Amino acid sequence: MTAREELGREELARHIEDRLTGKSGRALWRSLDELSREPSVLEMLRAEFPGLPDLADARVGRRRLLELMGASFALAGLSGCGPGEASETAIPYVTMPAGLVPGVARHFATAVTRGGYADGVLAIHQMGRPVQLEGNPDHPASLGALDPIVQASILDLYDPDRSRTVLKAGRTASTNGMVKALVDRLPALAALGGGGLRLLTGTVTSPTLARQIGALKQRFPAMQWHRWEADGRDMVRAGAVLAYGRPVDTVLHLDRAKVILAVESDFLDSAPGHLRYARDFARRRRAAEDGQPEEMSRLYAVESSPTLAGARADHRFAVRPDEVEAVVRALAAELGAGPAEWRQGAPGWLAAAARDLSANIGAALVHAGPAQPPAVHALVHAINDAVGAPGQTVSRIEPVEADPVDHAQSVGGLVADMAAGKVDTLLILDANPVFTAPADLDFAGALGKVPLSVHLGAAVDETAMLCTWHVPEAHELERWGDARAFDGTVTIQQPQVRPLWGGWSPQELLAVLDGETRPDGYAIVRQSWMELFQSKGNAEGLWAEALRMGVVPDSAAPPASVSLLPGLADRLPPAPAQPKGTLTALFRPDPWLRDGRYANLGWLQELPRPFTTLTWDNALLIAPATAQRLDLKNEDVVEVNTANGRLRAPVWLLPGHAPDCITLPFGFGRRIVGRVGRDVGFDAFRLRTLGNPWQLPGVELRKTGESLRLAATQHHQMIDSPDVVRHATLDEFRRDPGFAKCKEPEQSLYPDYEYPRNAWGMAINLNACIGCNACTAACQGENNIAVVGKEEVLRNRQMHWIRIDTWYEGKAEAPDQTLFQPMTCMHCENAPCEVVCPVAATMHDADGLNVMVYNRCVGTRFCSNNCPYKVRRFNYFNYSGDDNRLSMSWNPDVSVRARGVMEKCTYCIQRIRNARIIADRENRPIRDGEVKTACQQACPAEAIVFGDLNDPDSAVSRRKASPLDYGVLSELNTRPRTTYEARLRNPNPEIGEV
Amino acid sequence: MSAMPETERNLTRVVEPGVTAPAVTAHVSDLVLERRTPLWWWVGFGLSFGLFVLFLVAVGWLFIRGIGIWGIDWPIAWGFAIGNYVWWVGMASGGTLISALFFLTRSEWRSATSRIAETMTVFCVACAGIMPVIHLGRWWYFYWLFPYPNTMVLWPQFRSPLHWDFVAILVYVAGSLLFWYVGLLPDFATLRDRARRRWQRVLYGLLALGWQGSSQHWRQFRMLYGLFAALMAPLVCSIHSIVGLDFAGGLTPGWHETQFPPYFVFGAALSGFAVVLMLVIPLRRALELTGVITQRHIDVLARLMLTASLLLSYCYLIEIFMPFYRGEEREITVAMSLLGGYYAPWYWAKIVLNSIVPQILWVRSVRLNRPLLFLVALGVVIGMWIERYVIVVGSLHRNHSESSWFVFIPTVWDWATLAGSVGLFLTGFFLALRFIPMVSMFELRELLRKKQTEGGR
Repeated sequence: MTAREELGREELARHIEDRLTGKSGRALWRSLDELSREPSVLEMLRAEFPGLPDLADARVGRRRLLELMGASFALAGLSGCGPGEASETAIPYVTMPAGLVPGVARHFATAVTRGGYADGVLAIHQMGRPVQLEGNPDHPASLGALDPIVQASILDLYDPDRSRTVLKAGRTASTNGMVKALVDRLPALAALGGGGLRLLTGTVTSPTLARQIGALKQRFPAMQWHRWEADGRDMVRAGAVLAYGRPVDTVLHLDRAKVILAVESDFLDSAPGHLRYARDFARRRRAAEDGQPEEMSRLYAVESSPTLAGARADHRFAVRPDEVEAVVRALAAELGAGPAEWRQGAPGWLAAAARDLSANIGAALVHAGPAQPPAVHALVHAINDAVGAPGQTVSRIEPVEADPVDHAQSVGGLVADMAAGKVDTLLILDANPVFTAPADLDFAGALGKVPLSVHLGAAVDETAMLCTWHVPEAHELERWGDARAFDGTVTIQQPQVRPLWGGWSPQELLAVLDGETRPDGYAIVRQSWMELFQSKGNAEGLWAEALRMGVVPDSAAPPASVSLLPGLADRLPPAPAQPKGTLTALFRPDPWLRDGRYANLGWLQELPRPFTTLTWDNALLIAPATAQRLDLKNEDVVEVNTANGRLRAPVWLLPGHAPDCITLPFGFGRRIVGRVGRDVGFDAFRLRTLGNPWQLPGVELRKTGESLRLAATQHHQMIDSPDVVRHATLDEFRRDPGFAKCKEPEQSLYPDYEYPRNAWGMAINLNACIGCNACTAACQGENNIAVVGKEEVLRNRQMHWIRIDTWYEGKAEAPDQTLFQPMTCMHCENAPCEVVCPVAATMHDADGLNVMVYNRCVGTRFCSNNCPYKVRRFNYFNYSGDDNRLSMSWNPDVSVRARGVMEKCTYCIQRIRNARIIADRENRPIRDGEVKTACQQACPAEAIVFGDLNDPDSAVSRRKASPLDYGVLSELNTRPRTTYEARLRNPNPEIGEV
Repeated sequence: MSAMPETERNLTRVVEPGVTAPAVTAHVSDLVLERRTPLWWWVGFGLSFGLFVLFLVAVGWLFIRGIGIWGIDWPIAWGFAIGNYVWWVGMASGGTLISALFFLTRSEWRSATSRIAETMTVFCVACAGIMPVIHLGRWWYFYWLFPYPNTMVLWPQFRSPLHWDFVAILVYVAGSLLFWYVGLLPDFATLRDRARRRWQRVLYGLLALGWQGSSQHWRQFRMLYGLFAALMAPLVCSIHSIVGLDFAGGLTPGWHETQFPPYFVFGAALSGFAVVLMLVIPLRRALELTGVITQRHIDVLARLMLTASLLLSYCYLIEIFMPFYRGEEREITVAMSLLGGYYAPWYWAKIVLNSIVPQILWVRSVRLNRPLLFLVALGVVIGMWIERYVIVVGSLHRNHSESSWFVFIPTVWDWATLAGSVGLFLTGFFLALRFIPMVSMFELRELLRKKQTEGGR
């Protein structure tokens, strides 16, 4: 049998298997019948059983056809036995693979990209399959932490709704057909020098892809490479070009910054490197942890739409979008980086903030978010130069993105050419432009004029349905690849599992343009690096080391030496103006769904958004005062009227939002998506245009009189609770170091427990916590926490074991400060839950954990009623059983809970037990830091510390010795094991309380 | 026995003049043995059975899907089921109080109403006992609350009020059932002796357990009955105290109150007397018992209801007073939310129905007006359900953790379970009406003999 025939049979088997998946009973017969008439099947049948399709064409009875197809179905059954490709040698477990011990996890380093930028991860394998992702401590962008999106990519890997077959015009087709279509086109393309050949990608940092595209450009000089990242960094790039004449990337060194000014900055939320930034930032906020309160940095924030940086700011100013640039200009003027007339009309606090920045030359920095116009970025560069930031608190490096271009111009040019019929062959790699491209471009319409379009995507999405061909993309955890981090450091991505549903990597698909019909992703990626490694000597050793470490040593981007071009003030485009009496719409990515690509991930849909705590929906965010003026309240549905069109959206009042503007989060409202993401939210992309990608003035709202219930997880805007979330200013703390302590009752009717071995405890530093929800996501993955869906969240039955409570200091309309408090089981010494459980299903264990015995629980729920922290969660339905995720994706170390039992944080008891087993085997106590809970592991800010309270030198004991340490609601005599360090604020004394 | 005269305005006689012991015995046993089943019974039973089927459907679906079909959420993990439980067990107290407590006080008005009240107790307790079981997330393991030796070597958590509660209900169910059955023995024997059909003789013969009416039997019967009465009277207080501890044992503001045990006893008594009134008023007519269940009985029950209402109102005052007296912020929050928050309409409804409306019972003419009395009693029964509902959800919805504050919104299945449990009660009660003598014949015979002796003197 030739390779081609082999491929054909395999394709047929897979195709039939796919058509059968998820269908049973009568539907099965119907689908077989349907299947037997499909042209692609007939084509393959013709190759496999010559003569049979003729019978089918002659309308032989279905029964006879089925008889004849029996052999093929047997094959379908075989390949249905497991994932992976049948053509390779499978290793049965009769002979154990070397080094694999059942139940013992193995770690493999790789990277997962987000918006093109890599976050280094360690994939944890159980019995040969990855079950969880943790940050790679050796990777500069992760340092061991992970954000919710990258954590959820393990769920993405196992998403049963992923694309499984090649589609032609939306119908199942053969891979061979797709390869043939591309290969057949090559001679014609070559004749034209590549004219009419176009590539469209998102942000690309992969050196291999860049190398391949470079090679293709040599072969097809007229080929064009277009970029579109809806949630991209065009403005940052344009700002650098404006300031320095060429694109450069900026890397922040927040650990060296004493004074920071953030202009709607994303350095804590989503900027490339944000995990590292969070850690560096938190380092400077850990006042009193090591007894040096004067070492605390000060953060100013100026923003329209709230950011995590704004929540952490010592002074936060909610400013209308059209005034942001004026503020930055005035600041530049104050610091001598702009003409003095810019100072006009500057707010009073600005001079004080400017003095603070200029008093800390070399230890100050300003950062602006990706939604700010280029002028703001250019001014920020100028200001940073003026406060001596370069080389100290910021460094400029050569761009990490391969061949950086302006994405808006790039995609605009592509659509124009498509519409003009100049595009003959279009490859769309890992992008969904039909959904995300600016609404005024009509990408979908132009796509119809492209004779041959090939879409490579992980799922069948809006673009897949409109392209000539759709090719299933292998997940990043299934393929070879490489990607750069925010500082340029390269990670070679290694597959963690054989592609579950087949699939191609972008590198492999590009190789088809080189005439390869069966490209090998491994060889392609290896080729990129072996040359470099060979030049350094031991190539194989370096390759293996790079894979093992998850980083290629010394691959960070070189520093860029740039200097400010003169005459910046004259080159700045005019500041935007806001027409009186109208609103400005701000387009911002949803924090979890980003440009909509993660819409099918239940973890992310159900993860509460910071500030709003909304799940399963996006909402039009508006300041309470503005809403009052417009007579709007939460959950009112309004019609948003703009020059670009209109849409309907539910309203959510957001304290701290700037007045006279609204935020429209995009990424929701996907039209063609898997089962999870269907009918969720509204699509704000429909109003986003090429010219106004981030803000659109002149918007009007009209009440429709309808309302839509939104699934928030916190229903009250909470103002200061002195016994729950304690806080003070740095000065108050210096005057009264014991302010956070309260008198706790010490009596109990019952004798104290004794803990001869370990007494586990946790400390959470509110000064470090940035409210990013990474802990919630990590806990969900580690502990097999079920996703319950919008209806259940509306009933307030979400299952998260750790939640982020949001508190406001000051007035709800304009809070002075937003306080985040992770709440999880406190493992109380006098646990109120334990005494009320009639069957003793929740009890103290020998190490002081408050354990929950699922098998013993009968579900009285008294423990939940009696828990003052409300951290217990109940399985009202069979949530885990009803989940459609693949059973192999659950963490095998943790029981999956059935209907009718209570569950809650266990301090990751499975990790404690693993450490205990290892320590016992080595006949030694468990070392401090050996057990890391999942939330602690993921936390980028190192806010959570876990360890043994019996050991006075353990990190957690040292933290608990801090004068800031306090127990929430400890006046109830619960004696919580989890304690908090009170939040401190470091305001500028020159600026009065807002 | 329509010959029994009725003197509507006389509030002193427990038996109307001219009623004789043989006539009472003949009438009451004929009701069970001889009379054709009246139309009102068929209608009432049909409706009740319909509700009972609803109960089966609601519980069946609950068993299939899980307790998520109810509106309970987080933080309000208890809802209707627990409220229903407290409500039913509270109403059950009526029968025990009348037949045990007033037996010990030798109140002569008790004799004619005790059977109705006790039968009511038995079926109320049945409804009450089902609720905590079906409310469990895994109801099929409910027996784990019982301290039985097992291979897991596990005992229940003896510190848990829910375990005390489980034991208390178990004792109460067993006690009520035995008390009721022991009291029925002489009457079953009467029925056996009077029965003409074979199945009746067999049935009542089996039920009578060989009762012969010998003096030896009577001596032992009186001892046993007295013992039961002496046991049940304190038990009715202890069970409601323990039900109160189910809440007071919790840490939640609004529950953590020392007054809860007596509070729940008073509440139970109020609803118990009210439901006995609701049953006695129509039944004395329907069963033609106006000669032995007189205006005096109704007057006594109305006075008892008024007394219980006053006691309960005192608890209502303390419930609001204490948080402010202690000055505890979270308890004040709960109190304020009751007075003016989301559950305020419910709170004020209970105040009106349980405290204010019953005050009209001070007026003699109201106590004589049976339809009005029936409505007041109905109001109290509804008001007592509301009280339990507010206690369960009102305090949980303003718990210690402000970030989890939420409200309880009942679903159709919550209402179906509540209505269905009423069906369960009524179905049982209607069946009892048909097969069990609704007046204690032997006690009335004794009473009439006593009256005769007194009259003869």
